Amino acid sequence: MNDQTIRFEPKDEERLEVRRILKEVCSALNEKGYDPLDQLVGYLLSGDPAYITSYKNARVLIRKVDRDQILEELIRYYMEREGI
Amino acid sequence: MEQLHIVGGHRLSGKVKISGAKNAVLKLMAASLLVENECIIRNVPLIKDVLTMIEVLRGLGVEISWEDDAVLRIKPKKELYFSAPDELVREMRASVQVMGPLLTKVGKVKLFQPGGCVIGQRPIDLHLKGFQALGAEVIEEHGYVYAQAPKLKGVDIHLDFPSVGATENIMAAAILAEGTTVIKNAAKEPEIIEEQNFYNRLGARIRGAGTDTIRIEGVSSLRKTPIDYTVIPDRIEVGTYMLAAAITGGDVTLVDVIPEHVEALTAKLKEAGAQIIIEEDTIRVIARPKLSAIDVMVLPYPGFPTDIQPQMTAVMTLADGTSLVTENVFGGRFRYVDELVRMGANIRVEGRSAVVKGVNRLTGAAVIAPDLRAGAALVLSGLAAEGKTIIEGVQHINRGYEKIEEKLTELGAEIARVKE
Repeated sequence: MNDQTIRFEPKDEERLEVRRILKEVCSALNEKGYDPLDQLVGYLLSGDPAYITSYKNARVLIRKVDRDQILEELIRYYMEREGI
Repeated sequence: MEQLHIVGGHRLSGKVKISGAKNAVLKLMAASLLVENECIIRNVPLIKDVLTMIEVLRGLGVEISWEDDAVLRIKPKKELYFSAPDELVREMRASVQVMGPLLTKVGKVKLFQPGGCVIGQRPIDLHLKGFQALGAEVIEEHGYVYAQAPKLKGVDIHLDFPSVGATENIMAAAILAEGTTVIKNAAKEPEIIEEQNFYNRLGARIRGAGTDTIRIEGVSSLRKTPIDYTVIPDRIEVGTYMLAAAITGGDVTLVDVIPEHVEALTAKLKEAGAQIIIEEDTIRVIARPKLSAIDVMVLPYPGFPTDIQPQMTAVMTLADGTSLVTENVFGGRFRYVDELVRMGANIRVEGRSAVVKGVNRLTGAAVIAPDLRAGAALVLSGLAAEGKTIIEGVQHINRGYEKIEEKLTELGAEIARVKE
């Protein structure tokens, strides 16, 4: 039996999709006068789409990817940038 | 006096657009007392409670007007009164939500002990304990509550129960307090996120709504820029129309919803045998003529909502088998059972639970709605009953459902509002 941990890497297109959605959602939040950082942190912690404006379909968009995918992409980006 | 006349037996089908959330709008209207400039609130349902809150705010010194369908423009005057008219406070429990904002803005508040649905004891002790913890002096006498504090101080508050109203009032009172306030065991309802969003747009620093810990960092002042806010859809109205589809064996698509807000109900309806299709911001309910009996346990959000319990019980009266509905939030929430029994339901209430034995048919009868959500349950039963149901106590239903007879008629129901 192979007892080695297998690491599943998300496909590049999935990562690009997460980034595209984050950009669009942040843009909609900005335009409506929200702080995107606060709203995304709230959404990631609570899972409640009420944090995301319905403007420009952002609330529908954010639900196209799982929260763990978003969090993974954010942490991956940070780790890569910091050389961790 | 108004009545709703319903001829049952029509299978509902089609689309229904959901209105803005009553329980969010009322709190945002109260929150608007802290607006330094003016605000626009969109997606406001035209219901009695909103009209009452408009009068409460006018009584406090707020300029408020309908800009358009479902759009309110609100501008508080520089000097606000600290006490709302007694008869309005008596009429609507949500008026207690002006306390926190008034304490912050004016430094004092005096209110008649609030009224609202008679669905059990809902004391405001937790609100008042929160104000006291923040440093306010609170006096209750002669049927009034009086609180005052020239300056509030941030503090850690652990709520005995995750009360929505207390969470919101304490949040409002802490916005300009000195230091940081942390509310633990906070309520997690989506309407609290709405308030956090609204206050933060005004310049407050609040984090954590939607979780059980909310942190409010006091700020010295709020922004003077106007804001424009759109309210989330009403999850209780969503639940009511999902259950209207279920009780009539219908096929109804609800439009403009946040499906995550009704997950507990969705799970229960699937368990009962209904098909639920969720796509983006719509939910489609396809129900077979006879659903299976299920047990329902009412709990604070994200558990099964107390505000949908009566409607769910109504659906279970026609299910195949015996259901147990247990109410853990408000004690007086089975007051409608006698009315359902009058229509042929077989329900026995034992303490906090109702044992519902499914019957083959309900029959139309003259019934009286004892409160808002019980009224909705009677409407649903009337839709499924044989013959004509006449519902009195419509003023309760008017408090929370926008154009209910128009929306149901669009779906194929035979329902009319009759003025006696």
